[in-house]
Amino acid sequence: MGQTTEVDLRQQIVDSIGELLPRVLKREVPELPESTRLFDELGLSSASTLELLLELEEALDLQIDVEEIDQGDLESVGTLADFVAAHSLTQD
Amino acid sequence: MTALTAVASYLPAGRVPIEELAGRLGLSDRQVRVFRRFHGLSEVCRDHDGTLFDLLAAAVGELDELRGREHLVKYVLYARGMPVAVPYPANPLHELCRKLGLAHAVAFTVTHHACATGLLAVDIAGRLLASDGVPGALALVIAGEKTFTRDAELVPDTSIFGEGAAACLVSADGASDRLLSYVTRLRGDFDGRLVEDPGLAVRFAKEYPGSLAEVILAAVQRAGLALDEISLIVPHNVNAVSWRRLCRMIGYPVDRVLLDNVAVTGHCFAADAFLNYRLAADRGLLNPGDRYLMVAAGLGATFSAMVFEH
Repeated sequence: MGQTTEVDLRQQIVDSIGELLPRVLKREVPELPESTRLFDELGLSSASTLELLLELEEALDLQIDVEEIDQGDLESVGTLADFVAAHSLTQD
Repeated sequence: MTALTAVASYLPAGRVPIEELAGRLGLSDRQVRVFRRFHGLSEVCRDHDGTLFDLLAAAVGELDELRGREHLVKYVLYARGMPVAVPYPANPLHELCRKLGLAHAVAFTVTHHACATGLLAVDIAGRLLASDGVPGALALVIAGEKTFTRDAELVPDTSIFGEGAAACLVSADGASDRLLSYVTRLRGDFDGRLVEDPGLAVRFAKEYPGSLAEVILAAVQRAGLALDEISLIVPHNVNAVSWRRLCRMIGYPVDRVLLDNVAVTGHCFAADAFLNYRLAADRGLLNPGDRYLMVAAGLGATFSAMVFEH
């Protein structure tokens, strides 16, 4: 992960969210634009968001600092990816 | 002024890793991992063979300051989070009073502040003693419950209950620990069962940190203090992540919230603050003159904070 740039990491996070959401929500999820609203459109809750973050940590070998998360970070796929990219330690 | 004269705790030796509870509680592997990774839960206290009487008697048995002073105890208050504990006509509280030589005391259960009832009981005890005006009189406050139903084992997506218990002596005018302020807010709009009402669960999760922050800040202000004069927060053990978020919200260092019992005991109903007080005192975290907060929240919902001076 040492050579990964921030842009790469953010894109990896967006891609992983798309892959992991069906697993967390236990249903098919169509391809997601970054503007997709997590709670209103996808039906995520605070609890399922934590499950998604846990899966992201394991998929991308990250450690996410969740206590920094705000409601604004949970608006959309894009804002969540921004948050995770900015509040993660990569495990080398 | 109400004072917390002595506090004892009892944690059963039995410890159950949360993974072992998953099947019975209907938790997925991922939910268990979220509890462990983000909520800071690891194992919970369980006394499989013991009764509620055994649990409470063990806590009072740790309260050395009660010995020889039984005749001074005017009230025994059982602070309970769950409204029902045993089938009628069993009454472990009265049985306990008989066994302890406290049959002369007025004994009753306090509930309806759910897991914030422990703080309510301390306040009631102090006010009853003050209105009597009998010098040297004491009240015994006990807390701790059995995890005897699913609702008494799990707060969905939030916490897992454990079976720790506590016993406290309260006086109306003791020197330590003096109760400087008590603020409690009842939010009846959060009434209901989270497990049955996802809308309520979402609303409660969203408003919880702000509601708890409000009583914390109000209690500090009512005590005539600033938040940075609070040396320690003696919390409830619901989970770690909610405390981290709350600390960030109010600008209080999370390393001054004693969260170490979260991973050891789980959430012990109305007893958490007292269990954590005992841990703080045993670790030498409370020095003479220190002002600290005891904080609790109960489903339904109640948000409570007390400021004490050690």
